[in-house]
Amino acid sequence: MQRVVRGGVVACIGFAVALGLVYLVRAVDRLGEAVDANAAANYDDREFAGGNSVVVDKRALYQARAFIPKDGRYRVVAGRRVEGATELTEPFIEHFARYFLMPRRPSVDADWILCYGCDPAGLDGAATLVWENGAGISILRASR
Amino acid sequence: MTVRALCGLAAFNLVLLAVGAASLAALRGWRSWYELARSAGLAYMLGVALVGVVLSIELALGVPFSFAGVVLTCALLALAAAALRRSLARWRPEPPPERARGIGLVSVAFGLLVVVYLEALFRAARLSGLSAFDAWAFWVPKAKAIYFFGGLDEQFFRELPNPSYPPLVPALEAAAFHFMGSADAVTLHVQFWFLACGFVAAVAGLLAPRVPAVMLWPCLLLVLVAPRVVGRNLDPQADFILDYFFALAALLVALWLVGREPWLLATATVFMAAAVMTKRDGQLLVACVVVAGAVASRRSWRFAWPRLGLAAAVAIAALVPWHIWFSTRDLAGDLPAAGALALFDDLDRGWPAFESAISAVFDYDLWLIIVPLVGVAVVLAFLAGARTLPTYALTLYVLVIVGLTWVLWSFTELELPFVQDEAVNPLVRLSASLVIAAGAILPLLLDAAWRGSDDVVLEEP
Repeated sequence: MQRVVRGGVVACIGFAVALGLVYLVRAVDRLGEAVDANAAANYDDREFAGGNSVVVDKRALYQARAFIPKDGRYRVVAGRRVEGATELTEPFIEHFARYFLMPRRPSVDADWILCYGCDPAGLDGAATLVWENGAGISILRASR
Repeated sequence: MTVRALCGLAAFNLVLLAVGAASLAALRGWRSWYELARSAGLAYMLGVALVGVVLSIELALGVPFSFAGVVLTCALLALAAAALRRSLARWRPEPPPERARGIGLVSVAFGLLVVVYLEALFRAARLSGLSAFDAWAFWVPKAKAIYFFGGLDEQFFRELPNPSYPPLVPALEAAAFHFMGSADAVTLHVQFWFLACGFVAAVAGLLAPRVPAVMLWPCLLLVLVAPRVVGRNLDPQADFILDYFFALAALLVALWLVGREPWLLATATVFMAAAVMTKRDGQLLVACVVVAGAVASRRSWRFAWPRLGLAAAVAIAALVPWHIWFSTRDLAGDLPAAGALALFDDLDRGWPAFESAISAVFDYDLWLIIVPLVGVAVVLAFLAGARTLPTYALTLYVLVIVGLTWVLWSFTELELPFVQDEAVNPLVRLSASLVIAAGAILPLLLDAAWRGSDDVVLEEP
């Protein structure tokens, strides 16, 4: 029995060595591809990363960072009027903006409005246009 | 993405190593510089676990979170460990002697391969963007909220997804941000590279004097190069850090079952506490470790069970402040919306849930043949006459698979059969725990099978 068991142990180690070496090469290749992709990306691409599949125009969130003070509040109003929107844009832009714009706080009655394909006419009260990209995204400031 | 951020991160990890080394000195002590160097990985991971748990408790208690606060916490932990070392010196048994074995050819060869892997992993981490959905949807935003607002900001912790997840990972990430000097989500990936290195060093350091290098390194390498591990272990979220804590706790309990050295269980307790503070899944995994330990030690239950019970109680107690924090704010809890026992209302979900769990654990494209190898090693160890280790490993793996099944069965919002894309599949994430643990458990089992005995032999000088 001991021979059988030890044979089994040797076989297990053999499998582990063989698979480990084959997949080590693949892992290093795969990581190398990731390194190349990371190196080829510019600063914006790296900063947005997962948000690239959600955000249509990166300038809008950069402008929001520039206009809205760090202790300010904002709200995201999403709609379907954004040119080039993906299927992830409308459901997830608010999530990504929350990550990207922190420490600015989201708030339902905030003065700053990030209109992401919304209908400005449908917003409560008057709002001043601060910035727009001409393709359905704008930053507005509510007049109180 | 700057050199300053990298240097800050390196400093943070040196601080974690220092705290862990002081703590390990208190719990175990060491006889030589060789032992100290060999234990550096375990010391580092212990530092991560301890600092993470204490920062999480401080957050839940409302202690302001700042750079000075993190440094002070680490300093106090190191001082407390030094005081504990002095007061325990009288009672703590001398660590068993270990011979500084020469580093053999196998260790050098496989060590170099692991270094090649870790070097490639570092380069991938260095400029990696934050792509993982959960990472940017809530893990890193929680860390940023702690960093910017100096605590558990109620608005963000209420509005972000999974508000009841414990704050250990966000706390560690926020501390890393402080050391980096900004909320640099790109350089943050390097923190997870440090954790991967620490885990490898911890397992190698613990097992090197106990099992032959030819059993240790191939198993460890196989786990590291599994496709899902390669693709996901740098994501700045809780999955892999939970797996590291679980695997180290499982390994230390296994070693305690056959060696009975008190420091092993004490150190495992810290990792169990860290696991339950990392993710709610950690509670399930820790319960599996404790029950598996109890089953494997049933013949000496008078000795083992009270100690295991105490370890579990301490680990769960660490969670209490956080539990009070989120339950007093009426945030969503940890259990299935329909209740923990709602599965009995949906008996038809049982088998599909089990099938889905099994297919996740045994998926070759994700995990190669790692779990089947553990199964074979368990059988071989039983055939060879070992009892404690194979019983422990078998119980642990069966319990975790039962736990996976329970998750799918009880959370009725999950459709069955569960075929969600692996990138966002919670079942795949949970099954990683068994794979990562295999890197630590498999060499022990193979060694027990080879020798036909559970007794772990530390080489005598």
